[in-house]
Amino acid sequence: MSTEISHIRNFCIVAHIDHGKSTLADRMLEFTHTVDARQMRAQYLDKMDLERERGITIKAQAVRLLHDGYELNLIDTPGHVDFTYEVSRSLEACEGAVLLVDAAQGLEAQTLANYHLARDAGLVIVPALNKIDLPAAEPERRTEELSNLLGCEPGDILHVSAKTGEGVDELLAAIVARVPAPVGDLSAPLQALIFDSAFDAYRGVITYVRVKQGTLPSNAKVKMFATNVTSEAEEAGVMAPEATPVDALGPGEVGYLVTGLKDVHHAKVGDTITLAGKLGATEPLPGYREPKPMVWSGLFPSEGGDYSELREALDKLKLSDSSLVYEPEVSQALGFGYRVGFLGLLHMDIVRERLEREFDLELISTAPNVEFHVFRSDEESVVHNPAEMPAGGDYDRVEEPVVYATIITPSEYLGAVFELCQVRRGEMVDMSYLTPERVEVHYVLPLAEIVFDFFDQLKSGTRGYASLDYEPWGFKESKLVRVDVLLHGEPVDAFSSVVHRDKAYAYGKKMTERLKELIPRQLFDVAVQASVGAKVIARETVKAKRKDVLAKCYGGDITRKRKLLEGQKKGKERMRRVGKVDVPQDAFIAALRIDDKAAKK
Amino acid sequence: MNGQASPAGIYVHVPFCLTRCGYCDFNAYADLDELKPRYLAALEAEATLTAPGWAGTPFVSVFLGGGTPTTMRPEDLAALLAHLRTSFDLANDAEVTIEANPDTVDVGSLRALLEAGYDRLSMGAQSFDLAVLSALERIHRPDAVRMAFAAARDAGYANVNLDLIYGAEGETVESWEHTLRETIELAPEHVSAYALTIEPATPLGRKVASGASPEPDPDLQAEMFLIACDLLRDAGYRRYEISNWAKPGFECRHNLGYWERRPYVGLGAGAHAYRDDVRWWNVRPPETYLEMVEAGELPIGGSESLDPSDAYLEEVFLRLRILEGVPASWFEEARYEPFLASGLLDDELGQLVPTERGMLLLNELVLGLTA
Repeated sequence: MSTEISHIRNFCIVAHIDHGKSTLADRMLEFTHTVDARQMRAQYLDKMDLERERGITIKAQAVRLLHDGYELNLIDTPGHVDFTYEVSRSLEACEGAVLLVDAAQGLEAQTLANYHLARDAGLVIVPALNKIDLPAAEPERRTEELSNLLGCEPGDILHVSAKTGEGVDELLAAIVARVPAPVGDLSAPLQALIFDSAFDAYRGVITYVRVKQGTLPSNAKVKMFATNVTSEAEEAGVMAPEATPVDALGPGEVGYLVTGLKDVHHAKVGDTITLAGKLGATEPLPGYREPKPMVWSGLFPSEGGDYSELREALDKLKLSDSSLVYEPEVSQALGFGYRVGFLGLLHMDIVRERLEREFDLELISTAPNVEFHVFRSDEESVVHNPAEMPAGGDYDRVEEPVVYATIITPSEYLGAVFELCQVRRGEMVDMSYLTPERVEVHYVLPLAEIVFDFFDQLKSGTRGYASLDYEPWGFKESKLVRVDVLLHGEPVDAFSSVVHRDKAYAYGKKMTERLKELIPRQLFDVAVQASVGAKVIARETVKAKRKDVLAKCYGGDITRKRKLLEGQKKGKERMRRVGKVDVPQDAFIAALRIDDKAAKK
Repeated sequence: MNGQASPAGIYVHVPFCLTRCGYCDFNAYADLDELKPRYLAALEAEATLTAPGWAGTPFVSVFLGGGTPTTMRPEDLAALLAHLRTSFDLANDAEVTIEANPDTVDVGSLRALLEAGYDRLSMGAQSFDLAVLSALERIHRPDAVRMAFAAARDAGYANVNLDLIYGAEGETVESWEHTLRETIELAPEHVSAYALTIEPATPLGRKVASGASPEPDPDLQAEMFLIACDLLRDAGYRRYEISNWAKPGFECRHNLGYWERRPYVGLGAGAHAYRDDVRWWNVRPPETYLEMVEAGELPIGGSESLDPSDAYLEEVFLRLRILEGVPASWFEEARYEPFLASGLLDDELGQLVPTERGMLLLNELVLGLTA
């Protein structure tokens, strides 16, 4: 039966990437004998292959640990800026958070951002330094940094090595001692917070829930507030760490519910589950929000690929990814495809990779862009595709999304950080010294600038030492223009981009120069132009081809020559036609890919 | 087969060379001289084996190519031609061409060849610019061409071709004009001028791939082609194929056979043969060729049967290479109209013939017409 509520502790671990969160979770599983040493494998909780390989956790999960008569629910939070909302929902399921900091690296932007989220959510913070076994560890300095931040006694900070297991018992004890037990009325109408949901091919939609009040029986008729969908739930249970059915989940408890639903969109993260009918609660828990895509990109099947396969793959992927949105798009350059919205760049990479890996698709993706709000005689329209942005001047104003960015950098690189943020149209909010050597800076920056290789530039400008985190900060008016790229007078939609007026020329020049190298010579001179509205801002010419013939063609050459022509013919058939110009798809891919490459520098 | 068989040609491949040139990807070897006696015997044996399959076919041309056929002794070459005459129905006035390199001939050997019946001499001059010759890794000097040419005339040759290559590393328009003028001054009956093509499986191809040598500039080669067209035309030569010019009446009958899709026999290592939409070819390595022939086998290495669309494509691209062109009635007007408008094709009494500019873009014409 359910554990006494006073003996439940719900907590999460807040840490920067690579600060050892997953390893600590592994040790906790081991120390509490939740997982047998024989069955233990690294990063046990990171279930999907993709996660294990990338070394990050994208799906929050809850695992029950039994320790000294206490039920400890470890709620794993996603560790990436794309998933800020998911993090906030996971935090809602907890009463405490272990703030885990690498004793060598110190505080990073992501730690701080998540710490602030945890504190704002009213969680008790249990600070811990990890990797104290490392020769490079500086426990004293990090302790000072942390106690300054938290306003706590240095003695409150635990010292742990997740790798060796040192200090893990003490940490478990501190969690029991410091994190308060949950509160919740057993007899009140059921309110259970969905902090994650997943799609299982056999069992349908599985939600991870925190019961706030009331009881969630194993097979009840339940209702989802946001979608107003009811369903016969099939099973409630806890992850220990494998799924273990229970009769019911009581107040304060964390577990899973096999909902009986077939579509994750019916059970969204942040929504509240209650019982259907009169016994149900009348109000949901506060804080629900629709998932909102921040970054958009066109996805197209590559050469010979099938549009309907892409559609089926997206439809299937959507079943397990409730934040994925997409709309059909027709590009004259790339054919039929989809404009897909993502929570952020990582989410975009993950979706693209899953489409290619799980569905065996070959895809071309356009450079990512943000969403623009275009105002024209008091009418507001939302644009997800640069090609749909009205041409220059045909609107009153444009707004673009901005983010509140937290950057932590060694002070010696502060100049480089200022310069980068300046170039990227950032406005500084404030700055403070964490220690004499490390500075925390806040900027409001256009998301479009972040999307375009900001992180890599930040890393290279600070020799990899700076860290970055950001959260959405609304929309802001900006002098944005659409730059078109034209081949022989015809715009190529895939290369249209919305950029700041001051950067239009640089973009146009870069694209025309690049395309000049990529577009094969035709039977006529091809003008490659970049324009803003009717004004051409850059121009290159692909000179007409003068020679394409094999000089020798005698008895032994004829077969080879014919095959060559057949190959050329096939190549031609695969080309895309932009007006009069034949362009191989490879050229589009290369032009779009170099962006990626430049971004990785 | 019904009715009269089309007149056919005989190609004989001689794979021996004094040295290997860097650009050449032909089936040729500089270090197989000891195989020559066996090879000669094998050619004759292969002719004997093959001939029954060609009974009733009149032959109007023979072409000894290579390699360098003149690395063989004139008396052996004479015996070979005599053997071909006994094996095949070769017309008395057949055109019999032999390829030669300047360094492998003199008046005596050439006189012997002419007497034996080799009445057309095709000489690999390539260039009159020493720098270009060395870029091509040719061992002869420009003077050797003049001397060999004079020797051919002294020996009585009245039908001589000079082969030229343009667009090698370092060659300028001026150098190419000089080579053309020198050629014109010698007044051969026939000139073949080829844009240098980089073949991957050659020393030059590897140099280009590694970046040690530049890729030939196609625009410069186009320029050089047009210069050749002008200078040779002014000197009384008529371009009858993309890379071939002749004084009237001296067009190479044998090569025209390839482009007009007439049948041909191929003898020797790697030689190709063709008849009625079937093409087949001998094994390429000389040793393998010898072993098979010596075992009494036909040394066939492979074959292909052209389906109607293959045959059509070949017909179109081969006919476009020669002056005759293709009948406009083969295509929808929309296919060729843009090429007429842009000056790449001429319509000569219902035949579509590439202009000089069009010749340079022949692949585009073929693809556009047959798409």
